[in-house]
Amino acid sequence: MENVLSILFCLSLFYVSISSRVKGYVTVLQLQGLLLSVIIVIPFIYDFSIFGIILPVTLLVVKVFLIPKYIKKIILDLDIKRMIEPTIQQFTFLLLVIVSMVVIFVVSNILSQRTELNVIPFASGFSAIVIGIYIIMFRKKLIVHVAGFLILENGIFLFGTAVASELPMMIELGILLDVFVVVFLMGIALNNISSTLKGFDVTALGRLKD
Amino acid sequence: MNGLLNSGNVLFIAAFVIQLSALIPVAFIRSERKFFLTSNIILLIGLVIGLISTLSSSLFSSSQLINDTLLFDNWIRLDGLGLFFLFIIQLVAIPTTIFNFSYLQHYIDQERPIKSFVISYTVLLVSTQFIVIANQAILFLVSWEVMSMSAYLGMILEREKEEVHKGSFYYLVASHVIVFVIYIFFFLLHHQTNSWFLSDYHVSLTLRNTLPILFILSFIGFGIKAGFMPFHFWLPQAHPIAPTVLSAFLSGVIIKTGIYGILRTFQFLNPIPEWCGWVVLVISILSAIFGVWYALAQHDIKRLLAYHSVENIGIIGIGIGIGFIGSANKIPALEVLGFGGALLHTLNHAIFKSLLFLGSGVISNNLGTRNIELMGGIVHRAKYLAIFFLIGSVAISGIPPFNGFVSEFIIYNGFFQAAKELKNYYPFIMLIFVVGLAFVGGLAVACFTKINSIIFLGTERKEIKHFHTSVYDYISLGILSLLCIAIGFYPRIFIGIVNKVIGSGFVSADSSALIGMNWLSLTLIFSAILLSAVVLYFVKVKIQKKYGRRTSATWGCGYENITPRMQYTASSFADELNIIPKTILVYHKKVEISKGAFPKQTAFESHSQDFVDNKIVLPLYGFLKKIISKIEFLSQTDIRYYIGFILIIITVYGIIAFLWK
Repeated sequence: MENVLSILFCLSLFYVSISSRVKGYVTVLQLQGLLLSVIIVIPFIYDFSIFGIILPVTLLVVKVFLIPKYIKKIILDLDIKRMIEPTIQQFTFLLLVIVSMVVIFVVSNILSQRTELNVIPFASGFSAIVIGIYIIMFRKKLIVHVAGFLILENGIFLFGTAVASELPMMIELGILLDVFVVVFLMGIALNNISSTLKGFDVTALGRLKD
Repeated sequence: MNGLLNSGNVLFIAAFVIQLSALIPVAFIRSERKFFLTSNIILLIGLVIGLISTLSSSLFSSSQLINDTLLFDNWIRLDGLGLFFLFIIQLVAIPTTIFNFSYLQHYIDQERPIKSFVISYTVLLVSTQFIVIANQAILFLVSWEVMSMSAYLGMILEREKEEVHKGSFYYLVASHVIVFVIYIFFFLLHHQTNSWFLSDYHVSLTLRNTLPILFILSFIGFGIKAGFMPFHFWLPQAHPIAPTVLSAFLSGVIIKTGIYGILRTFQFLNPIPEWCGWVVLVISILSAIFGVWYALAQHDIKRLLAYHSVENIGIIGIGIGIGFIGSANKIPALEVLGFGGALLHTLNHAIFKSLLFLGSGVISNNLGTRNIELMGGIVHRAKYLAIFFLIGSVAISGIPPFNGFVSEFIIYNGFFQAAKELKNYYPFIMLIFVVGLAFVGGLAVACFTKINSIIFLGTERKEIKHFHTSVYDYISLGILSLLCIAIGFYPRIFIGIVNKVIGSGFVSADSSALIGMNWLSLTLIFSAILLSAVVLYFVKVKIQKKYGRRTSATWGCGYENITPRMQYTASSFADELNIIPKTILVYHKKVEISKGAFPKQTAFESHSQDFVDNKIVLPLYGFLKKIISKIEFLSQTDIRYYIGFILIIITVYGIIAFLWK
């Protein structure tokens, strides 16, 4: 079951790498949040505990409702254009993503022979981290950077579930809070930047240095 | 902790606590004037208590040897060398702190925030004292770094000026290099001896193959701080731009921490091979000669004094070099004379150099310029300032009857002693050095004749509206002048202290070469000189009464319409001497003389640049900059590139980790 969901997660990564609209990113973020919540909740179906359910529920609320809603609000408020303004062609980007994913899956498979880990969730999480970084690298818009950052963070979550010794719940909750605060701060920063500089390119931020 | 709480140590600890508590008013009192007055008074009290505790230590007691006291689990060590330097620091810090009262008032009147300066000055004083008593290598290095950085922060008080940027940058770079070098030095020592305590560092006889490295590291590191010739380039850049109080303290005391470091290194490496002595001696004599020669070519009074620091560090270094040679050849008399002269000259230089710097600060503050060519006739404005400055000038030139003469006299004696004890080719080499040192003295006299005559005599080249001197200026200058006179006229007591310092930790066997000199006759001769001066003065007064006194414009020579511009200038005074080592001084002059029956305008200009700075340091810097600009593309303004770099590095690490067996 976990493997199927992880593969769905990977497919969402492919979608995000060819999507050229900001809205597509938000949808993918919602989907990924949902998938993560389900993946985390699976072990508790057999062994229910009230504490165990806190994390998936918070995850669901934050990732599926709060953050996407906040991003949509920023897009509306600041009247950001819907296109994502990539710096390289979508096809090249997809090729890069595919190559990276193949390498990651092969490497994970080799690694799994030495240590005990769940290959498919591990590799999916790893891919999400790398693709999150790619998105930050090859996209101009700040709001897309936020999305890339969130995808990276989703990858860390998946990664955490895949390794044999799981991350303690407190840490995962901490990460969640961290991300929420970061997104919030970035929203505020975007608001301020839009009043100082026109457009939301990171290239314009280069001019801010003294 | 045994014996920690005896009366001397309590006083000693209290002094540090009080000095540090001078920082408290800075935090609580809002008014600039009030907090500065309170914290300065507290600092002064702390320094006086510190000086009393130093004076009550075994350094000044009648005992023959100085106790080697270790406090706080060996972290603090009060031994002869440390106490002597502590004494110098506190002795000079008191007048400069008194000077602060009037000097910072000047800045408060300009409504310049001085909070950061007061903080850094206090921290600087405390950390400098810590350096000489620290017995733990890390404590030493931390104090050293705090000292360097607080001096830097104090230096940039007038940070809006372009020259301040440049000068303080030189200082910052130099201090980073020093710290880097002495870190390596101490880590090597730690590696050899397996201890972090300075008192344990004795490079044993079996492990002497690292001695050259250790010696060279120490000489470079501490030599940059002290300002020996190839490493002096930062000194004339940094000292002029600092606030006067700080440049007095920098030139008087802080560069002496370099001397302290070299002397400590000698203790670590003892017995030292003879070549070390020769290295120190040759570099020192070059520093002395060219330091004073560069000084002669300067127009900026503070820069001139900074070059004189190079000269005097050279003279101290000559003493140290003689001491090293004596130590290598096991001749106690030579060691005593060499190290004794060096230590006494360290004390003397600290006194007269801060006197001169503070005096120049009063002048440049009132005139708003440091250019000697624009000064003149100040003796008519401030008579006592001129007298104090003259005392300092005579002392630094090594003319009897002041203190500079005494220490140079000891060093000369060291040369003669070396010529006497070491036969072979030594007498000839020593003769060369003696001539060199005498030459330095001659140039120093020329240089100070130049400043005293141009600044104080003649008529005002630049109009002075109001020449303000305060009582604090005179108190601080007076204390320093009095010390110059005291050491000059009655050196016996200071010689005794120096002898004691050397006796505990430097010499291989006891020697009476220093203490046995006929110091009483020196006192008598000096008194005779003074007496004859007084007699001559009264004769002059009497003659004036009888025949009257005729006054006319300076350089008048019968010409009626004289202007201040017609006076003899500092540049022309020094020109004849400066054209001799033209290449090394990088001395350029421009003379424009229009010809014809009625010449219209003539002009004369001269400039000198530092050889090391212009021909070595700056080209090296340019070369490094060129290399670094090759990888400048890595420095981007866009965050996306950095994320890309991170990804690349992680991938590389991942591949390495993956392939690592």
